[in-house]
Amino acid sequence: MRRLFANRLVFATAAIVILMSLVFALSRVAS
Amino acid sequence: MQSAVRTVVWVTLYLFFVLAPLFALLAGQLPPARGFWTEFSAAIGYAGLAMMGLQFGLTARFRYVTEPWGEDVIYYFHRQLSLVAVGLVAVHALIMLAARPDLFVLPRTLGDVPWGASFAFLSLFAALALVVTSLWRAQLNIRYELWHLMHIALAVVAVAGGIAHMALWAFYLTDPWKRALWIGLAIFWIGLLLYVRLIKPLFVLRQPYRVAEVRKERGDSMTLVMQPDGHPGFRFRPGQFAWLTVWASPFKITGHPFSFSSSAEAADGRVEMTIRNLGDFTSRIGEIRAGERVYLDGPYGAFTIGNPADMHVLIAGGVGVTPMMSMIRTLADRGDKRPVVLLYGSKDWESIMFREELEALKARLDLKVVHVLPNPPAGWTGEKGYIDAAMFKRHLAPPYADHEYFICGPDVMMDAIEKALGELHVPMTKYHSERYSFV
Repeated sequence: MRRLFANRLVFATAAIVILMSLVFALSRVAS
Repeated sequence: MQSAVRTVVWVTLYLFFVLAPLFALLAGQLPPARGFWTEFSAAIGYAGLAMMGLQFGLTARFRYVTEPWGEDVIYYFHRQLSLVAVGLVAVHALIMLAARPDLFVLPRTLGDVPWGASFAFLSLFAALALVVTSLWRAQLNIRYELWHLMHIALAVVAVAGGIAHMALWAFYLTDPWKRALWIGLAIFWIGLLLYVRLIKPLFVLRQPYRVAEVRKERGDSMTLVMQPDGHPGFRFRPGQFAWLTVWASPFKITGHPFSFSSSAEAADGRVEMTIRNLGDFTSRIGEIRAGERVYLDGPYGAFTIGNPADMHVLIAGGVGVTPMMSMIRTLADRGDKRPVVLLYGSKDWESIMFREELEALKARLDLKVVHVLPNPPAGWTGEKGYIDAAMFKRHLAPPYADHEYFICGPDVMMDAIEKALGELHVPMTKYHSERYSFV
């Protein structure tokens, strides 16, 4: 169960990093 | 609750250290934007490198970082986040290849390849080699000690190569302060490595231990009794572990993690570790002689008693009983009146570690020991097979969610027990587990 929690945390971290990279790219091309 | 708050704080801090250096690139003077995919590729490249660098922090043995999770979970994070980080860096290269194939045209001579590109390839190949040698170390037949050295060297090359690629490619790092920020970050990451490999060993070196006794135990195991040599020693909490270095200085990277098996109430700083012969380094424990100097880096670990609980339920498989033994001995020394139930799986009757002492401890503690044997002797009336949810119902009084559970054993057993506790609606906050095969 702790591993399941750890996996979710890793998944969430990866998702946030990719999402923020998208924000970075969009802010660059939009400006 | 306090642990949950620390979890949120550490995750936020981790994301800050990954994303703040990326978004700092948007401050000040900016070069003209390129296409969306090129900019996205650059962003995941920067973020991936920052994540790779922070791996040095995850394994730097900072107690404040590891305590809310447990060392085994931190190493699990280290492995999973490494895969994410290297994945981001690899996808960065692939998107660049698709979006800007002109950048990948090979020049006439190797000498004409820009340094920025050379370092990118060096970094990427080191990172990929890091992943391959870590995931398939056993299949590649690489010795643990050699692998550990390679692991550190490849990690340094991957991170330093990545930084050199950024600095020499210099699309975003034209501003001196942005360049300084990223180079400073790289120095910080490598500094974390130096901390755990140079500074920490210096402290450990100044606090050596002497082996007072090497005691043979049941189940092909030995107990090392160690006495602080010229210092008062450290206090540990039952269930915690330390990295043991024998026949070498603490600067050598061959420390091995073992749980303490002794009581945490020993007044003279004496500590014991009980180690089963598993065929590797552990097969040489019997060669250690009384009087030899050893080094302990610890204590570490969040697998420890101390939370309010009506009773302690300890679930051990094989050598996983050693931290439980420390808990039981400590509770006995403290005169704790709460019930303790030990569900203890062993290969057979003869290999049950601490069998006689556990019987004796029943006189000092409200202790119930349930031996579980897959190969019981003739006439055995106790539990047979492996520990499961039905056994909990037979030996524990409900409500199950009020007890505090501690689980230590082989991965298969741990998975089965965690599932069984879930079926009994025991919340995750009420059970603690430590996987001893985390490195």
